[in-house]
Amino acid sequence: MTSPLPPPDLRARVLAAAQAEPMPPRAVGVRRGAVIVAAGLAASVAILYRIGGPGSRGRPSEYFVALAALWLLVGVAATWGGVVRGRSMLGRSVASRTLVATLTPAALLVTAFAASLAWPATGERPSGTPEHVICIVFTIIFALGPLIAFAAVRRRSDPVAPRLTGAAIGAASGAWGALCIELRCEHASVLHVAIGHVIPVALLTLVGLIVGDRIIALRARR
Amino acid sequence: MHGRNDAVPERAEVDVAMERYASGDDAAFVLVYDTLAPRLYGYLLRQTREGPRAEDILQQTLLQIHRARASFIPGAEVMPWAFAIARRLLVDSVRRGRRELLSVDGEIDPGASREASADDLVQARQLAARLDRELAKLPPAQRVAFELVKNEGLSMAEAAQVLGTTVAAVKLRAHRAYEALRAALGDAIGGLEEGKS
Repeated sequence: MTSPLPPPDLRARVLAAAQAEPMPPRAVGVRRGAVIVAAGLAASVAILYRIGGPGSRGRPSEYFVALAALWLLVGVAATWGGVVRGRSMLGRSVASRTLVATLTPAALLVTAFAASLAWPATGERPSGTPEHVICIVFTIIFALGPLIAFAAVRRRSDPVAPRLTGAAIGAASGAWGALCIELRCEHASVLHVAIGHVIPVALLTLVGLIVGDRIIALRARR
Repeated sequence: MHGRNDAVPERAEVDVAMERYASGDDAAFVLVYDTLAPRLYGYLLRQTREGPRAEDILQQTLLQIHRARASFIPGAEVMPWAFAIARRLLVDSVRRGRRELLSVDGEIDPGASREASADDLVQARQLAARLDRELAKLPPAQRVAFELVKNEGLSMAEAAQVLGTTVAAVKLRAHRAYEALRAALGDAIGGLEEGKS
């Protein structure tokens, strides 16, 4: 049995509607996306330099370099797995996005814990609630640029699991925010890093659920 | 049943057409429309039982594809993406409360052969109505998986992409739906062999 054909006049209507709303080709879209993401990351870097720029600030240099390198890797991996769609217009698999959303904060925490074991002296400098709160706030501020950029690039694009995509984007942007605060913060105790630098990543993952629902979900235009 | 097994050549054609469109060939959107529209329209008409609503969602689906021109990924499959968009817009339409209750007696296949005898048509309609009733009793996840694979001719992998799940999950859901329908309808659904896709 064959499927029914759409009415002949629908073809003309769709083509006319498409013509009335011209869209640029992919080359333009790729450039535009790259500019948006670069601007989002540049915003974080600009804020970082505005508040003093990167530096070990009393932490062991090797610890500073090693943890920054590890968190850079986490940020790149989370962006690749959670923001980049891979070879499908529907994005990476649900399992892949779930892994990004759940493992990104976990990976940051585990690497921070491993670094604290490798450099035990980092736990000696005391830090309290005010320091934790400041770092939570700045991690979120640092992550806002990438979050907005990633959400803009994926805006109205996901018809299947937008909340999960949003969560993965939130985790990825959180990883960039965590990297920035790690480059700036003078406190290295694992408790402070967990509360001030990693918990905001988990919070941003939750915020990503909302972003996914409101911004990334594909919706009809009226 | 409304099985189609012409997915493979269509998919290749629409993938190439969309690739050309994304690369800057404006005229290729006509080919995208011509390859996608009949399949999507059949799917939407079966789901909505309303020509105007099916047309509206089809138009929106194709315009969403047009709007994604700048972000189209080279080599990406268009068909599961298009079905996923159509399904999302359909679900949104239902959520907005604009879908009326389905009538099992509704016109579901305007393209049916006019040469069939009156008895055959009546029998086919009765079977379609029974099938619809049984399908409606299935859990939504099983029903949707079954419909995408059996009615729309998507492969298990394509249906998995549309539903955002794994191939194994789609196989399991479609299998359970098939078993439930076979238990309810017996030999009447003999034409729907399992594992056809």
